[in-house]
Amino acid sequence: MTEPRRQYRPNIKVGAELADAAPVILKRVRLIPVPLQALGIAALGAAFFDVSYLVAFPLRPVLFYLGIGLAIMGLMTFLLHLYLKPVKQMLPNGHSVMRPRSRLLLVFLFLIPAVWLSLIVTKFDMGIIARRGYQMMNILEKIFQPDFSYFEKVWPPLLDTIKMSLVGSALGSFLSLPVAVVASSNINHSKTTLWGLRIIINVVRTLPTLIIASVCALIFGLGTFAGTVAITVFTFGVVSKMLYESIETIDMGPFEAMESLGASRFQAFWSACMPQILPTYLSHSLYSFEMNIRAASILGYVGAGGLGILIAERVGWRDYESLGTVLLALFVTVLVIENLSAYLRRKLS
Amino acid sequence: MIEFIHTGKTYPGGVRGLDDVNLTIRQGEFVAIIGLSGAGKSTLIRTVNRMIDATEGQVLVDGVDVMSLKGRALRRFRRKVGMIFQSFNLVSRTTAIKNVLASRVPDMHFIAVLLGLFSKAQKIQALEALDKVGILDKAYTRCDQLSGGQQQRVALARTLNQNPSIILADEPVAALDPVTARQVMSDFKQINQEFNIAILLNIHHVDLALDYADRVIGIRAGHIVFDGPSSQVTQEILDDIYGGASVPKVADEEAKA
Amino acid sequence: MQKSERILNRYLERPRTWWKPALSFLVVAAAILWSAASIEYKGVAVRGSDVAYGVIYGIFHPDANVLFDTGNFGVGYLLFETAAIALLGTLFGGMLAVPFAFLSSDHIVPKPLAFLVRAFVLMVRTIPSLVWALIWIRVTGPGPLCGVVTQSVCSIGMISRMYVTAIEDVDTRILESLDAMGCTRFQKVRYGILPQLMANMVSTVIYRFDINIKDAATLGIVGAGGIGASLIQAISTRRWGIVGAFLAGMIILMLAIEYASTKARRRLAHGS
Repeated sequence: MTEPRRQYRPNIKVGAELADAAPVILKRVRLIPVPLQALGIAALGAAFFDVSYLVAFPLRPVLFYLGIGLAIMGLMTFLLHLYLKPVKQMLPNGHSVMRPRSRLLLVFLFLIPAVWLSLIVTKFDMGIIARRGYQMMNILEKIFQPDFSYFEKVWPPLLDTIKMSLVGSALGSFLSLPVAVVASSNINHSKTTLWGLRIIINVVRTLPTLIIASVCALIFGLGTFAGTVAITVFTFGVVSKMLYESIETIDMGPFEAMESLGASRFQAFWSACMPQILPTYLSHSLYSFEMNIRAASILGYVGAGGLGILIAERVGWRDYESLGTVLLALFVTVLVIENLSAYLRRKLS
Repeated sequence: MIEFIHTGKTYPGGVRGLDDVNLTIRQGEFVAIIGLSGAGKSTLIRTVNRMIDATEGQVLVDGVDVMSLKGRALRRFRRKVGMIFQSFNLVSRTTAIKNVLASRVPDMHFIAVLLGLFSKAQKIQALEALDKVGILDKAYTRCDQLSGGQQQRVALARTLNQNPSIILADEPVAALDPVTARQVMSDFKQINQEFNIAILLNIHHVDLALDYADRVIGIRAGHIVFDGPSSQVTQEILDDIYGGASVPKVADEEAKA
Repeated sequence: MQKSERILNRYLERPRTWWKPALSFLVVAAAILWSAASIEYKGVAVRGSDVAYGVIYGIFHPDANVLFDTGNFGVGYLLFETAAIALLGTLFGGMLAVPFAFLSSDHIVPKPLAFLVRAFVLMVRTIPSLVWALIWIRVTGPGPLCGVVTQSVCSIGMISRMYVTAIEDVDTRILESLDAMGCTRFQKVRYGILPQLMANMVSTVIYRFDINIKDAATLGIVGAGGIGASLIQAISTRRWGIVGAFLAGMIILMLAIEYASTKARRRLAHGS
C-alpha cells in the first residue's frame, strides 16, 4: 500500500479562519436527525408567520411569506422522511430485510397535482388546437414555399447576425477565462471570493438572452452593438460556468511539481494548468458560438440587430413566404456552422 | 547538507506527522527512507523544500533555516532542490522537451513564460538533460505516449535541468513494474555518483532500498527508528520499522509476474 | 558520434509545427476583427445610462407590492404560470418525441426513412422557439396555451435526439434471457428494454425542463404567457422597481429549478 497522495494546498492565508469556523457549527447541526431538523424549520416558519403581524410593512410580507414557505417546506420534509424510512419485510422463514419505499409513488403524488394545476393555470384546451389546427398547416405550407427573390434582403441581416455572434462569443469567452480560473476551487482557496464569483456567474447565466438584449437596446440604442453586448454578457455566463466545472477536474500534480522547482504561483499555473485547460476552453467557446447563432437570430425582435427584425416584420405582414426564405437562410447557416464546430471540437480532443 | 534539528510536524486535528527528528545528510549521500504508509516519509522529505511546513524545530539546508525563507527567497531556494513524484507530475499533453524546459520557467521573463519562448541554448540544455537519462530520441514525443519508466525519466531530466544540489523523491518507482523500477533506481544511483547530488528518496520496496541506497532511514509513526548503512539492516530492524507487518519487497511482485 | 554533435543533430531535426496553431489563430482573429469593425458603435443612447442604473437599482430595490401580490399580476402567479407552461410543454414534448425518436433511428426503421425524419426534426429544431410562438399565436391566440404548444414542438427536437442515443445504446442481450424464460414481445419490451431507457429518458426530460423554464420566460415577450410579457412591459415603461421584482423572482426560480434538476439527474445517473 503506498501512501495516499496528499492534497496539495499552497500557502495562502485568505479568509481561512472564517472558512474554518463555519464547518464546525454545521457539523454540530448535522448531528441532529433530519426529521427533527425539518420540524425545527417548520417551527421557525410558524414563528416568523406569527411575528409578521407585529412588524411594519416592508418587513411584514417578507416574514409572512418566508414563514409560510419555511413551515410548509419543514412539514413536507418531515413527512417525506417519515415516509422514506425503509420498511422491514418479514419472510416466512423468519429472516427479514429492509425494503426501501417506492419513490415512484412519491413522484406521481407530486406530479399529478402539478400537472393538473398547470392545465388549469394555462387554460389548456385541446379543442382550440383541434379546431384551428388547419391554420398551422396553411402557414407551414406557405413557409415551405419560400420566395427566393427575397433572399437579397435577407443577406445583410444574416451577415449582421453572424458578425454579432462571432464578436460576442469571442469577447464573452475571452472575458470568462480569467474569471472561471478564479472561480475554480482548486486554484482559488478563498471561499468568500469563490462563492461570490460563482453567484455572479450563475445569476448572469439565468437571465434570458432576450431580456439582456432588450435592456441593452435601451442602453445602447437599436442596432447590432446592443446585440453584441447582449451576446457577450450571455456567453460570459455560460462559458464561465462550463469552464470552471472543467478546470476543477484537471490534474494539479504538474502544478505541484512546478511550485516545487521554484516557480511562482502564476508561472506554475500558466505552465502546468493552462495546457490542460486550453483544449476544453476552446471547445466550450466553439460550442457557445454555435448556440449563439441561434440566439442571435432572434435578438432583432427587441431591436438588437440581425435577422430578428426581418422575422418580426414578415410575421407582422403575414408574409410567410418571405419568412420561409429567412428561415431557410438561417437553417443553412446553422447547419454549416454546427458541422464546422463539431469537426473542430473533435480535433481538439 | 540537510540538517533536521528536533523537527516536528503536527497536522491540524492533532495528528503527529513527525516527532523530534534529528538527522544530518551530507552532500553526495544516497539515502533511502523506508516505513509503513502514513509513517511520515512524505512529510519528512517535503519539509526540506517547504512543500509542508515543520511546526517545531528547524530544517537547515546548507546552513539556511528553511522556515525563514519567504516569497522570492523561497522560490530561489527551491530551484536548487529537485523533486520527483510518484505520479510523475508531467504535463501529459505536451512533449518531453517542453516538460524539461519548464524547469527554466522560474528564471524567465514574464512575457517569455506567457508565450512559451525558449532560447536555442535552453533547448540544447534540455536535450542534454534528456540525454543524461538516455531518452534523447523521445525528446519531441508527447508524454502521454511514453511508458511509465520513460515518463519518470523525463521527470528526472526535468529535475537535472535545474542543476540541483539535492534531489527529493517521493515514491518514485511505486507506479512502475519491477524491471523498470530497477532501471530507474540505477538511474538515481548513477546521478548520485556522477554529479555528487544528495538524494533523499522515499521508497516502499525494502529490497530496492537495500540494493541501491548507501544509507537507510527507517520511520515509524513520525519517529526515526533506524539510521545507518544499508548493510547493517537486519530482519529485526525491519520488524521494528514495520511493526511486525510483512515487509513489502519488489521481489514479491516479480515473483507474481 | 560526439555527444554534443548527437544533441545538436536532434535539435536540428526537431519538428517545426508551430505555424499551424499560429495560422488558425490569425484567421480567427482576422474574422473577429473584421466583424467587429462593421458593428456600429453609436455610443450610449440619450437616456442610456439611466437605463443601466435603473436596472441595477431595480434589482436591489424590488417593488415589494408586485413581489408579494397574490393576484394575477404578482410575481408569484406569473412565475407559477411560467413554470406551468414549461412543465406541460416538456411533458408533451417528451411524449411526442418518442415516436419521432424511434422513427429517426436507423437501427429500427430503414435508412432513408430515418434520414428524412431526422431532416424534418432538424428543420423543426432550427426554427427558433420565438418564431414558432409567433406562428402558433395565429392558431391558439395569445396566452399561455400558445406557450405550451410552442414548447412542446420545440422540445421534440432535442429530446428525440437524446432518446435516439439512449435507444441505440440499449443492451439487447437481456432480451435473449427473457426469451429463454418464455416472455411475450410486450413483456420483453416492458422488462428488458424499458428499464434501461427509463432512467435516461427521465433525465433528458428533466434537463429539457430546466431549459424550457428559461425559454418560457422569454416567450412571454411575444404574448405566449408567462412572466416575459410583463417584464418587457415594465422595462419599456421604465418601472425599475417592478423590473427588479420580476428579475429577482425569475432568477430565484431558475436557480432553484436548476439546482433541483442537477441533483435529480445525478441521482438518476448514479442510483440513490
